[in-house]
Amino acid sequence: MISEAEKELARQSLGFAREAGAQNARITLTQSTEDLIATLDGEIDKVTRCADRSLSIALFVDGRFGSFSTNKLEAGALSDFIFKAADTVRMLAPDEYRVLPAPERCCHDAATGFELDSYDSEYSGITAEIRRKRALDAAVFNNGATLPDKLKLVSEEGEYSDSEYNVYVIDSQGLECRHSETSFDYGVEVTVEDSKGNKYSDYWWTASAKQDKFDPSGCGMTAVRRAYAQFGSRPARSGRYNMVIGPEVSSRLVTPLLNALNAYSLQQGNSFLVGSLGRQLFTDNLTIMDEPWRKGETGSKLFDSEGVATSQCPIIAGGIVMRYFVNTYMSGKLGIQPTIEDAVRPRLCGFPEAGLDTEALMRMCGSGILVTDFNGGNCNPATGDFSYGISGQLFENGRIVRPVSEMLITGNFLTLWKHLLAAGDNYRSCATKLVGALAFSDVDFSG
Amino acid sequence: MNNNLDLFGVTPAQLRAIVGEGLKGGHWCDLYFEQTVYNDLLLRDGAVASGGFHLDYGCGIRVLNGEKTGYAYSESTDYQSLIDAAKAATAVAGKAGSFKAGEALKRPEPPYGMKLDWDGADKKQLAAWLEKLEKAIRSRDARPSKIIALLSWSVSNILMYNSLDQITSDIRPLGSVTVTAIFKQGEQTEQRNVSRSFRCGIEMLSDVLIDELAAEAVKDLDDSFAARRPKGGKMSVVMAAGASGILLHEAMGHAFEADFNRKGQSIFCDRMGQQICKKGINILDDATVPGNRGSLLFDDEGVPGQKTYMVTDGVLTSYLHDRISAAWYGVPPTGNGRRESFRYNPIPRMRTTYMESGTDGTLQDLIGSVRKGVYVDKFANGEVKIGEGDFTFYVNRGYLIENGRLTMPVKDINIIGNGPRALADIVAVAGDLKIDDGTWTCGKEQSVAVSCGIPSVLIKNLTVGGE
Repeated sequence: MISEAEKELARQSLGFAREAGAQNARITLTQSTEDLIATLDGEIDKVTRCADRSLSIALFVDGRFGSFSTNKLEAGALSDFIFKAADTVRMLAPDEYRVLPAPERCCHDAATGFELDSYDSEYSGITAEIRRKRALDAAVFNNGATLPDKLKLVSEEGEYSDSEYNVYVIDSQGLECRHSETSFDYGVEVTVEDSKGNKYSDYWWTASAKQDKFDPSGCGMTAVRRAYAQFGSRPARSGRYNMVIGPEVSSRLVTPLLNALNAYSLQQGNSFLVGSLGRQLFTDNLTIMDEPWRKGETGSKLFDSEGVATSQCPIIAGGIVMRYFVNTYMSGKLGIQPTIEDAVRPRLCGFPEAGLDTEALMRMCGSGILVTDFNGGNCNPATGDFSYGISGQLFENGRIVRPVSEMLITGNFLTLWKHLLAAGDNYRSCATKLVGALAFSDVDFSG
Repeated sequence: MNNNLDLFGVTPAQLRAIVGEGLKGGHWCDLYFEQTVYNDLLLRDGAVASGGFHLDYGCGIRVLNGEKTGYAYSESTDYQSLIDAAKAATAVAGKAGSFKAGEALKRPEPPYGMKLDWDGADKKQLAAWLEKLEKAIRSRDARPSKIIALLSWSVSNILMYNSLDQITSDIRPLGSVTVTAIFKQGEQTEQRNVSRSFRCGIEMLSDVLIDELAAEAVKDLDDSFAARRPKGGKMSVVMAAGASGILLHEAMGHAFEADFNRKGQSIFCDRMGQQICKKGINILDDATVPGNRGSLLFDDEGVPGQKTYMVTDGVLTSYLHDRISAAWYGVPPTGNGRRESFRYNPIPRMRTTYMESGTDGTLQDLIGSVRKGVYVDKFANGEVKIGEGDFTFYVNRGYLIENGRLTMPVKDINIIGNGPRALADIVAVAGDLKIDDGTWTCGKEQSVAVSCGIPSVLIKNLTVGGE
């Protein structure tokens, strides 16, 4: 937790900034701890203890701007650091758009840091023994699990971690807000071999802000099943297929949309969604909400890095673009209203009915390819043209037929999203982006 | 020799005492002190109006018990904080160890240095250099709608000490320039990213570098606007010398890292000593290329920087080792133990990975031998699955090859294949090795600066994704 002494250090830093000639400044103090236990084949392999503190300062001096950070937090060292920083800012070109956000846009509801209930009050009571037990209990090697026939488990690498993250932000216009959260994470990667010695690897993970909702027990077997499902994989015939994409990787297709709505991309003209605000560019079933205030979840936030208050709002509603992500600086440069700097917890709403999962979407499509993992690829941000390596399962009559790999999907994001057939509600709440399974028609596969 | 003891406020006796504390829980203990100051200046919309610096300081302490690792770090280097961190690192506690007599370390010839120290930088002059770079790009082509140029530099002061009683130190500079240029032609937009990165001082910011970056930013721009996606399928691929070395790094280099092999995960784990590609092919990982981004005087375990041949005359001859894997295999460490910062324990990582020049003629000879295929001038990025060896690489810029000639320009396509198969399918290697000086960063668990290179090569039977 950030102590009163550390808060005082942040306030002192604002004072140093003023003494150094800054008209305005923002101080962000972060403090975190993390304990990690890594396992290899059911035994403890690595134990790591992390403890970090850092102070970042945004300085506005004589119409100029610079950003700085340090982890040497003694008052004397900080004073020298900030005076040197102010001297550096004076050497930069003036920029009239570099200003602090207006106080009325800023967050006034984050007084304690616990408002979103994403901090586990029992965190400090976790002992080394509890951590070891959690890491070892989650391992497949250690729990007598029955493995599929003709499968040799070559290696299993697991990592349990618990962490605490605290941030305290103040600025020279009176902003003061805090946020605290904990996170409990487990991830596992397995390598397995078939009877011919061919290797396959896969992974699974889970995370939660609270211990009572944290259950890593099924992760290892899920990773084994995913690897086993790839046995004998080969490319399918090139052509156009329906594509169902699982909730474990579906956010990969949402990220380019959100990036294209960011003002930095728009200002550079490097976005395929330039001029899209208020226009219907997608199927009218597509709705993406930003839900930054989701309680009890890691990643939820009441304010962004400028201290601007977040809000629950539509990003795309009924296929119409409703929001750009515009920070204070880009607002000035582009001459448009500021919002927040980025989506916090975007959720893609399921349709055409509630409660659809991956299997339901496969049944709905009949035949196609289920994508369960990506392997490389890219999107041209200016045009939306993309090409990604994928692996997954060929399905017919709604049922899996065989695994596919070494295939590519190729297309354009505007076209792809117009071909969205259905969206599931089976998103993983441990992920930042809450996107369930998705079904698209007419996707170009080659292999 | 400045060994950085003063900078971190520690004495040799204290180093010994801290390592002694760590040895209560394992057979090996080492300390990694680091102070890195990162600086940046950003040109956007014609002005250098943004910049800053960032200080990171601390010490990582590692205790080994067999292959098991205990790790902790402290952002303070006062003696008691380091003793506390050493105690925390003994969490993998095994049988207590003791100091061993290590070889006296011979300090290698430094592969880098600063003729003009970044510490003395006049930031107004650096900003002027960025402005000159922007003008140089605009003078070559009238189509840029936006140019963003970032100059970043860091200097890391390192001090290492271990239970062989070996003390080593280093000063690692790293300067980088990255340019993103957006070009407009009617309704069409093209983005170019070009970069250079070197371990050296301010002397890297020359007029020659401006010319190089500006020329590359606009290279074959008309072709990029005209480029289309080809019809996909299996075909031969000619890769241009230089940045195509990312294929070696991703699709083969990672599979040669000893941790993946020790754990049985790599597709090469049982192939040591076997012929894995055409005779005459040599692939190495090198910490000694002068001024190169991937070069190291010592790795992050205090092992001298060196050249490591992984493939010699087509035969797999070495993995890339840190101290843990070297001990496990019973071979000397190869100087590949690297880490992102004092916050991370070292693991086997590449440095500058490249293939030596071959004897199969020139790039033109390779292109001329292909009836139908693709010539890749520039890859954007790539990804590989270590176990299966499957890789995917995104092609920024290239051309179709038809009957031995370059024809239609192509872009925004992927090439997919399998690392070991692709290696075995290299049928020709030209004599034009080029090491690329871009800002390559490898992200295996942690980010570290690397580089790559390759001569022009011809690979048969890769899958090219297209319409």
